[in-house]
Amino acid sequence: MEARTIVITSGKGGVGKTTATASIGAALAIEGNRVVVIDMDIGLRNLDVVLGLENRIVFNVVDLANERCKVSQAAIRDRRIENLFLIPASQSDNKDVLTTASVERMVALLKKEFDYIIIDSPAGIERGFENSIAAADESIVICTPDVSSIRDADRVIGLLYANSITPKIIVNRIVPQMVASGDMLSHEDILDVLSVELAGLVPMDEQVVISTNTGMPLVMQNGSLAGMAFRRIAKRLNGEKDIPVKVPEYKTGMWNRISKRFSKKK
Amino acid sequence: MFNHMLQKITGRSKSSGNTAKKRLQFALVYDKLEINDSTLTSLQNDIVEVISKYFEIDTEGIQLELQRDNDVSALVFNTPIINIKRGVV
Repeated sequence: MEARTIVITSGKGGVGKTTATASIGAALAIEGNRVVVIDMDIGLRNLDVVLGLENRIVFNVVDLANERCKVSQAAIRDRRIENLFLIPASQSDNKDVLTTASVERMVALLKKEFDYIIIDSPAGIERGFENSIAAADESIVICTPDVSSIRDADRVIGLLYANSITPKIIVNRIVPQMVASGDMLSHEDILDVLSVELAGLVPMDEQVVISTNTGMPLVMQNGSLAGMAFRRIAKRLNGEKDIPVKVPEYKTGMWNRISKRFSKKK
Repeated sequence: MFNHMLQKITGRSKSSGNTAKKRLQFALVYDKLEINDSTLTSLQNDIVEVISKYFEIDTEGIQLELQRDNDVSALVFNTPIINIKRGVV
């Protein structure tokens, strides 16, 4: 199989890019793929703590891109999930230390050893973004159901198209009861506005905080709604058929059922 | 939830989600029409170059702007003409 390079990006920061990268990477590895996740947010390293691998860093992505070490030295193997590897960001450099050429060269090297290369891009559309998408074949844009994050997502989607990369979108942190009451944009609204293919829908989930606290990947937390959503997204990415996009639902009590029926009649 | 029902009963049902969608659609259209000064300047230079083949114009009096209304947007170019160049092309 030809290796696939997928960049995870967003316009606005803090919408869950790193969590999504860690979760999709881990889920793809659980599906039996050899996966490397790369933290491209130079100077603001984060993916390592989310994956609980912060104590094992020796070399980083800048070392590898600038040919100061081998792939086997830079890629940290996850001990809980077989076939999951992390290449951490450098914490001491700034974003100008990498060039698109050096990133392309590095990814070509990684393609020989992995099935999936998942790149966690920094927020925004500066130099770091350019480097992150330089070698990507596919991209997933993360947004939350709020106006500012969707507007910024639109800008990034435009830039991805301009670079001949067709983006898909994940709507993160959906609160089903607010969507039901009309106080949160539904995913249909968002797709209406953005006209882009949907990769998946992820509900708001307290387990995300707990997972980040402990460094235990979300997809390994039993009963995590967000974790399960990312597992489905990864399966779809992996080409599995019959995994429809699941719309997050509110577990209905009596009041909600009455209220729901009520609002439908309107 | 009870509040929500009350709202429905009293007919004060203004969902903020709908407001968000309308504001977003407007913002995105607006964003796409934004043009930066250097693009506008080079556009103006190109237009002047083409027009100058046929007209003698007063380059001091040129106005180029993007006008936006709720429904339509227009690029408006205004220039004083000093003379028509005869016998070109």
